[in-house]
Amino acid sequence: MHRNKLSHIYLSLFAVYLLLLLPWTESALRYKPDFTLLVLIFWLIRAPRLCNIGTAWFIGLLVDLATGGIFGQHAWAYTVTAFFTMVYQKRLILFNRFHQFIYVFILLIIAQIVLLILKTFSGVPFPGMVYFMPSVIGVLLWSISLLFKLHTDGRPGDI
Amino acid sequence: MRGSSYNIRQSATPSFFTKGPSAFARLILFSVLSLALIATDTRLQYLNIIRHQLEAYLHPLTLMVNAPMELYRQADDYLTSHNRLLSENEALKKHLLKANAGEQAMTSLKVENRNFRNLFNLKAKLEHQSFLAEILHATSDQLTRKIVVNRGASHGVHVGGAAVDAKGIVGQVTRVYAQTSVVTLITDSSLQIPIMVERNGLRAIAFGNGRDNVLEIPYLPSNVDINIGDRLATSGLDGVYPAGITVGVVQKISVARGSSFVSILCAPVGGVDYHKQVLIVNPADNTISAEEKEVSVSNKEQSHLGAPKKEPNHLSAAGKLKPADFSGDVGVVNAPQ
Repeated sequence: MHRNKLSHIYLSLFAVYLLLLLPWTESALRYKPDFTLLVLIFWLIRAPRLCNIGTAWFIGLLVDLATGGIFGQHAWAYTVTAFFTMVYQKRLILFNRFHQFIYVFILLIIAQIVLLILKTFSGVPFPGMVYFMPSVIGVLLWSISLLFKLHTDGRPGDI
Repeated sequence: MRGSSYNIRQSATPSFFTKGPSAFARLILFSVLSLALIATDTRLQYLNIIRHQLEAYLHPLTLMVNAPMELYRQADDYLTSHNRLLSENEALKKHLLKANAGEQAMTSLKVENRNFRNLFNLKAKLEHQSFLAEILHATSDQLTRKIVVNRGASHGVHVGGAAVDAKGIVGQVTRVYAQTSVVTLITDSSLQIPIMVERNGLRAIAFGNGRDNVLEIPYLPSNVDINIGDRLATSGLDGVYPAGITVGVVQKISVARGSSFVSILCAPVGGVDYHKQVLIVNPADNTISAEEKEVSVSNKEQSHLGAPKKEPNHLSAAGKLKPADFSGDVGVVNAPQ
């Protein structure tokens, strides 16, 4: 009944993970959305039984490994985001495009805020509202991907 | 709470039945795990070995992903025009000539210096080991200023080494893996460098503040002898950075109303955005990097002590503080802000 295969999920997550390892310049980093989290949210909404909070945690750990920051910060941020995704998952697939847009934006912001809180503890000053640019760009990419028929709700043929 | 209420409803319809613990339980479980990891990583350093091992597995993947970019760069190098190469060659030859002349003078000076040091029974200056490393990429984290270079523990890089480019200090090695190491740039808010004003030998500490191309020098009294355009070099007092490498140029000096400290902003001269190679200079002695903090603190005190000669004039002009008050003014400074 589920056409979403586990291999699809892990392959797509692996692909965006490679994106993380690319040699980004510093200025690009400031606007680069969190691709891994976007794909994660997509699968959390679409296939909650295959991709759950545990998956989010594990992917977060891998992201921490690649970014070289505090071990566990992304893991926690993704866990919290995944929780808020799961809580409204049933409703999210019924949301219209605009509501979903808003909610995904909130999810991306949540992840960034969790990271910011952890950073603040280690004494990094708040960089200003520009800090949230990646979320804005991320949610724009989300809506563009919806135009290309990547639907989070299983269409009749999908589930 | 909401998650559990959903589960109850779902259990009525078997096709939507979810196995396993509720979302809230999972949140708690994985949050605790993450927080434990964060605490271990930041405070206890048990994880470093495991982490280095995992990073080593990740390294081939990074190389693979970077391969297309590398290929493009090599192709670009290969296809550079004849004219450009010729002019570059010409410029480099001139540069080499100058450098050679400089080096000869330097050699004789070194010999002279060593002789003098022997004469006065001074300890020989620390010799630093250095490697040329290529910048692989910046770490993908907005709030930290770090780069990854392609020299690691297997090449002999140690934590605490300085990263230097042709113009000046770029950063410090903060994490070493087998094949790569992470360099924290001097603009990162976690990094401080003991510096010296080249013009008058005034010592202070420069702090990164996490923003682009800005270094701060806090805690200097407002009458300090420092001008816009002054060049700052490493003082070498910490034993980590070799002495005399340019760090930055003073750009802005301002005194906040009611503050007895001056806020000095400098622009670092070394920039990682412009080139692909840096020189990694190992600390002269490995044990020193651990003591760096202590040295920095004593440094800070010295920079305070360096200035008080001129204080009386200034303070009587400002009419706010008596010279005697100056040493204990930390509370006064923060009050008006």
